[in-house]
Amino acid sequence: MSRSETLSLRNIGKTYQIDGQDLCVLDEISLDIAGGSFIGIVGPSGCGKSTLLRLIVGLDSQYDGVISLGGETVVGTSLDRGIVFQDHRLLPWMTLEQNVGLALLNSTLGQSERKERVADLINLVGLRGFETVFPHQLSGGMAQRAAIARGLVTKPRVLLLDEPLGALDALTRVRLQDELLHIWEIERITMILVTHDVEEAVYLGDRVIVMHPAPGRIADDFSIDLPYPRDRASQEFTNIRQRVLIAMGAYDGSRRRAA
Amino acid sequence: MSIVDADIAFVAPPKPTGRRVSRKAGDHSWRYIALGLIFPASVLLFWQIAAQQRWVSDVFLPLPSKTAWAFVTMVEKQDFSHDFLASIRIVGQAFFYGSVVGVLFGVAAGFSRTVERVFGPTLDGLRHIPGIAWLPLIVLWIGIGAPAKILVIAKSVFFPVFLNTLQGIRSIDRNYIELGNVLKLTRGQQIRKIVIPGAMPSILVGVRYGASLAWALVVVAEGLSGQEGLGFLIFRAQSLLLTDQLLVCMVVIGVVGFAIDRSVGILQRHLLRWKHGFQG
Ligand SMILES: Nc1ncnc2c1ncn2[C@@H]1O[C@H](COP(=O)(O)OP(=O)(O)OP(=O)(O)O)[C@@H](O)[C@H]1O
Ligand SMILES: [Mg+2]
Repeated sequence: MSRSETLSLRNIGKTYQIDGQDLCVLDEISLDIAGGSFIGIVGPSGCGKSTLLRLIVGLDSQYDGVISLGGETVVGTSLDRGIVFQDHRLLPWMTLEQNVGLALLNSTLGQSERKERVADLINLVGLRGFETVFPHQLSGGMAQRAAIARGLVTKPRVLLLDEPLGALDALTRVRLQDELLHIWEIERITMILVTHDVEEAVYLGDRVIVMHPAPGRIADDFSIDLPYPRDRASQEFTNIRQRVLIAMGAYDGSRRRAA
Repeated sequence: MSIVDADIAFVAPPKPTGRRVSRKAGDHSWRYIALGLIFPASVLLFWQIAAQQRWVSDVFLPLPSKTAWAFVTMVEKQDFSHDFLASIRIVGQAFFYGSVVGVLFGVAAGFSRTVERVFGPTLDGLRHIPGIAWLPLIVLWIGIGAPAKILVIAKSVFFPVFLNTLQGIRSIDRNYIELGNVLKLTRGQQIRKIVIPGAMPSILVGVRYGASLAWALVVVAEGLSGQEGLGFLIFRAQSLLLTDQLLVCMVVIGVVGFAIDRSVGILQRHLLRWKHGFQG
């Protein structure tokens, strides 16, 4: 199967109406994402990251510009494009197992293969033993991991991850980052990861996009050429992290104060 | 790290019980049950004393023991079970038809604004004519048999179920529907996996209310028309001044009503066990 389809965004603009007022959330976003790459997107809260992912996954068609995958214009949702939502969005009336299995409802896999795949993914995110538990009995981080399992179970060509590791403790977080890398290296799927953690973006992404708010736009675009697995303590790593933070405006305030 | 051994790295999960949160401690202790029995026992005692001391005439208030005997007589000599079952059958069928049609209409109207617009105003108008007010007309049309009562009671069950289903569907989190779109669920799958379960808490509120209503109405309906059933017995007992039999009917009606409500409550608790802290 070819994994080389480019995801291409051309002049994407998005405006919300709030109380009759136009709110421009995304402005002139253009981006070519090579098939099989791992993109980190960072930017302040409210700059339109989730909105951008909603457009790519096909949940909202009210926007300007063109989104295409492998040359085909994206229309509506597709099992080729998966998403892990910022809120875990597990269905409260289904057990963990049923929630993950829901994504396979229309897959061509047979019954036993489906079961196996669901079990594999639950295992992968470290939730073995919780298969028959309802979401309200899971912790926030466990629910997030379950949502990741559901996103991966269909083997999408493009997987969008909206702060999927936000509610995890540092140790589990690092562990799952490595798991995501591992899956990405095996499956060669395109991953787009929105995160507030610059280190996470630099650790995972072969490219890191920095967005600025009001209206949401691309401010910077870093290629991260460090080989995997990356050493977070290395000089190159901290250098790049520093540059990304500067691009985000992290030091503007202090510099102004110093002046 | 391989896919298979990944979980070892995580803290081993405690064995989840999968049980809902246990109810308040001491819920089923003897003390708790005894507490609930104090009041009815006192009433019974007072009744016994009042009847024994002839504070009221025997015609108005027979001895509890006499009432109990009347129950035995009715069961053994007067084919009480026939009337009892007649009432149960009517309620059972009426409840079934009323709630099934209520859920179907509720889902249809919940999904399509057009359906709601076409039927909504009419149904809203009909809703305000009580079921019992329909009975005379229906009896004129199809006679005093069971079908007339079933129809009237089913109508009364229909509305709470219909309205609660509609409201339940309308209040489903849009995010869940979005999730269904992302997972490419067909319309049927959306309904079965997302819409119905999501609306279930609300649907069951309607069902529980409808069930109680149905049982209350059967007594009235049978009292107004027909020659059998608990409702018929209770009004006949009144006109014959068989106060003990009248009391027997009242107690049986109360006990069955209680049992119906508790059963639906148990069903509710089972179906909504996914709901955090739900206790029926
Ligand atoms: N459905 C909506 N209607 C109107 N405005 C919206 C809607 N959804 C988002 N917005 C607005 O769009 C902007 C961007 O929201 P978005 O959720 O994309 O931000 P974000 O970058 O994901 O933020 P965060 O990092 O906090 O998740 C916000 O100003 C928000 O108020
Ligand atoms: Mg967001």
